[in-house]
Amino acid sequence: MKRITLALLLLVSIVKAQNKEIKPDSLDTVLDEVLIIAAKKAKIETDMKMAVSVDEFLASNANISFIKRGAYAWEPLLNNMSTERSTVTIDGMHIFGACTDKMDPVTAYVESNNLSDIDIKSGQEGSLHGATVAGSIDLKRKSTAFGLSKTWSGAYQSGIEFNNNQLFNLGNVAYSCDKLVAEGSVSYRKAENYSDGNNDDVNHSQFEKFNTSLGFAYKTSELSSLRVDAIFDKAKDVGYPALPMDLSLSRALITSVSYKQFFENSFVKVWDTKVYFNAVEHYMDDTTRPENLVHMDMPGWSTTYGLVSKVNVKKEQFSSEIQLNAYHNLSIAEMRMYPQDRSERTMFAYSWPWVTTRYAGLSLSNSWDISKRSQLNFGGSLGINYNYSKYAEFNWIFHPGAPQEKTRFLPNLYTSYLVNVDGFNFSVGGGYGHRAPSVSEGYGYYIYNSFDRYDYIGNPDLKNEISYEANASAGFKNKKGGLQAKVNYFYIQNYIIGRILSQGSPMNYQSVGVKGYTALDYATLFNFSMDAHYAVMDNLHWKGTLTYARGLDENKNNLPFIRPLSYQTSLHYSYKKLGVLTALNGDLKQHNYSPFYGEDETPSYTNWNLSIDYSFHIKNYKTVFQIGAENLFNEYYSTYADWGNIPRMGRNIFTSLKINL
Amino acid sequence: MKLLHCIVIAIFVAITSCTIEKTDYEAELNVETTEFITFEEVTSITTDNYTISIEALNGTLYKGYNEIHLKITNTATNENLEDAHVTFLPIFTDANGNKASCPHDYHLDYDETEGYYLGYSVFTSESDSTVNWTLYVDFEDNSELYAVNHPITVKEQTNLNLNMTAFTGHDDEQYFIALVAPQSPSVAQNDLVAGIYKYNKPANPAGTFPDLSQYSYSIVEGHTLLIDPRMPEPSMGNHSSPNNEDLTQETDGLYHGVVNYTMTGNWTLNFILKNESGDIIKGTEVSTEFTPGIDGEKGELHIDILF
Repeated sequence: MKRITLALLLLVSIVKAQNKEIKPDSLDTVLDEVLIIAAKKAKIETDMKMAVSVDEFLASNANISFIKRGAYAWEPLLNNMSTERSTVTIDGMHIFGACTDKMDPVTAYVESNNLSDIDIKSGQEGSLHGATVAGSIDLKRKSTAFGLSKTWSGAYQSGIEFNNNQLFNLGNVAYSCDKLVAEGSVSYRKAENYSDGNNDDVNHSQFEKFNTSLGFAYKTSELSSLRVDAIFDKAKDVGYPALPMDLSLSRALITSVSYKQFFENSFVKVWDTKVYFNAVEHYMDDTTRPENLVHMDMPGWSTTYGLVSKVNVKKEQFSSEIQLNAYHNLSIAEMRMYPQDRSERTMFAYSWPWVTTRYAGLSLSNSWDISKRSQLNFGGSLGINYNYSKYAEFNWIFHPGAPQEKTRFLPNLYTSYLVNVDGFNFSVGGGYGHRAPSVSEGYGYYIYNSFDRYDYIGNPDLKNEISYEANASAGFKNKKGGLQAKVNYFYIQNYIIGRILSQGSPMNYQSVGVKGYTALDYATLFNFSMDAHYAVMDNLHWKGTLTYARGLDENKNNLPFIRPLSYQTSLHYSYKKLGVLTALNGDLKQHNYSPFYGEDETPSYTNWNLSIDYSFHIKNYKTVFQIGAENLFNEYYSTYADWGNIPRMGRNIFTSLKINL
Repeated sequence: MKLLHCIVIAIFVAITSCTIEKTDYEAELNVETTEFITFEEVTSITTDNYTISIEALNGTLYKGYNEIHLKITNTATNENLEDAHVTFLPIFTDANGNKASCPHDYHLDYDETEGYYLGYSVFTSESDSTVNWTLYVDFEDNSELYAVNHPITVKEQTNLNLNMTAFTGHDDEQYFIALVAPQSPSVAQNDLVAGIYKYNKPANPAGTFPDLSQYSYSIVEGHTLLIDPRMPEPSMGNHSSPNNEDLTQETDGLYHGVVNYTMTGNWTLNFILKNESGDIIKGTEVSTEFTPGIDGEKGELHIDILF
């Protein structure tokens, strides 16, 4: 950590020292253009709300659903699969949460004002960043282009959400000249308990989050640049109403140094190499829960460093990305229980016994425009995954003689074929891929899962999970509207899930038994989504989404956390500087729930939301004011994926103001 | 730029330190236990031309199981005595003058490679103002018999992993179970070693002191010691561990098995002692129910440990 600090300081000094005027060159424009493309300006906001959290933004994607343990740090499910099955990266950097209970998905350590876009790839197409089954979620950092006409730019956003008195202030500023870019962002959110549809407070649902980021880029030559990035995130006093404990503090430092080289008149277009380091610490706290029988400390640490190097190649109709990915992660989680008589000896064990994961993989993603109407995409990756458990004696208690270290080979392949004819588009594709068990699945030790109330034990001998995937889509688009339907089907061999163990007894006093991660022979997952949009008038737009999924295990029992039929529909009307949006979303009754994995039937719910925004100028600064309400009818509900059936937020009126500087 | 520079420095200094230190696991295991591996002299007795040196781990005799190394040197010739037919008898005297012994190895065998007489003694109580222990050692040299006695001090065993228990079995015999290893267990599969002994009831009333028939103990042969480890702390709700192996006798006379400790802290080893034909000598099965908030139930035969 110290060394990284020094390196960063050094780099900053270099950047400072070399900040001299150099005559602009015609080549600059080439570089600028490419960089501008790289720094695509997508906004992290939904149709409904302009000041969204990262979670809310992700939720607007049809492929994503969430497990919610409270108001904070939702766990994103991609294609109805939990985070072990997907790779979540920040600009291709791997980062792993430090909480055994998945209270800190990677998405909790960024903020909407330091991201530019979120790139979601379904299934094996996401294997570019590493072995996956469900796909990949890549959080793209904001990156300002060199030599913008506006040297200084920025935005400030503030607002209140009245349901939980959440006050937020987000600010970001960027400086851009021909040689140097410097940008930074700061954000602070603080929320109290939210109230449900019955106007009852949901205790322990408060949170406080501070996030800041810095980025410096320096143009080292006409065609190359060096960039240093850092994100620091700190969450304090975060309540998890669905869990028996809260978070007292979590901190993440995410840093990277990258070097980008462009090439002219060559089929190699750009070579981008990045080294990165991130450290996450996560301290759970149950002193806020006097009802707990036993006080327990559960600190966790996750440290990752790695390398991503990628080359983009383009020749005529053929383009390709080759990526080398390597990382090293150390995950540590401890639990220490305190007897009622505090003078007595505390009880200690590791829930992650210093587990090292090393991964190195080479991946390839190719796109070939066969004709103007058709395109073939194909690619794959081959990775080596190595695990080492320092205190393997913890694993030997349940799995005597299990190896202390394990190396796995993880191949992934995919292909898809796209056709575009007169506004109609079709695609078919397939994929095959392996993934290694996660740290918890392989080496977890008495990890309490408050959803099914079992303690989970990892198994170092688990086989690779192997996914066979087929997907297809069909759509139609014209000037007035469009319709797009997508299906995918996964047949997953050695599907890893917790099964009750006959041996062992629970350690956490809330739990009812011990489950071991075991591999089912197979499981199948089916996802369907349909999107439609239609312009009723020039200023009146309609949008609708329908999703359906089904997951079954080898005995045709339902898998848990599979979203029932859900819908989202919205109508947007704009008149001059005024915009009005009304939206309806909900899930139907969850018929296909899984009692075997701790689920109960969840009734249907509907939410009606409304928002109005108005744009105006304060001294030439474009300003938008928005007011709206979510769950307007104050419906009391919880969704299929709400941990412990905690109720969702009731009526929430929100306002926000955004000034673009 | 200066400002940014400062911000960078400030941020990195602020977060290069962890708020909660990681646990030093190796040190954690040594909080309650100290592992002794070297034998040191406890006491030495001089008689005529002979010096008898008695060694034990850490130079101390503790309540419970003690491996004893005994050396006899002829001070005149400075030679170690071999095959001196050494006998070893610890005698305990209570406040009323009643005398008793404890499980021990009476005839000590000479270990030629190590150069000492090897034995053991399972002291059943600590020395204090009312209770004292005396050691009676006899040996032979040049067909001459020597007999010495010497007071010894038995200290409290603070390491509960070497705890012991004494009980009367359903067969009305007196038994002793003493833990021998591990001295310092870890959260792991631990090889558990215990000695099981029995008092041989005398057929006749005591003769002149020391009447050996009154102080005869033997190793219990061919029995089985069933084990069920549990955490007694109420918050642990009678927590147990998987993959434990019952203790059976091996060639060293001691009983060997496997105990898994799933975390550090207080544990109770619940035992059931069965004889060769599978009859229960002592011990009851404990509930396997998970009972959070209630002190863990202990079987009638158990030893508490802590690490």
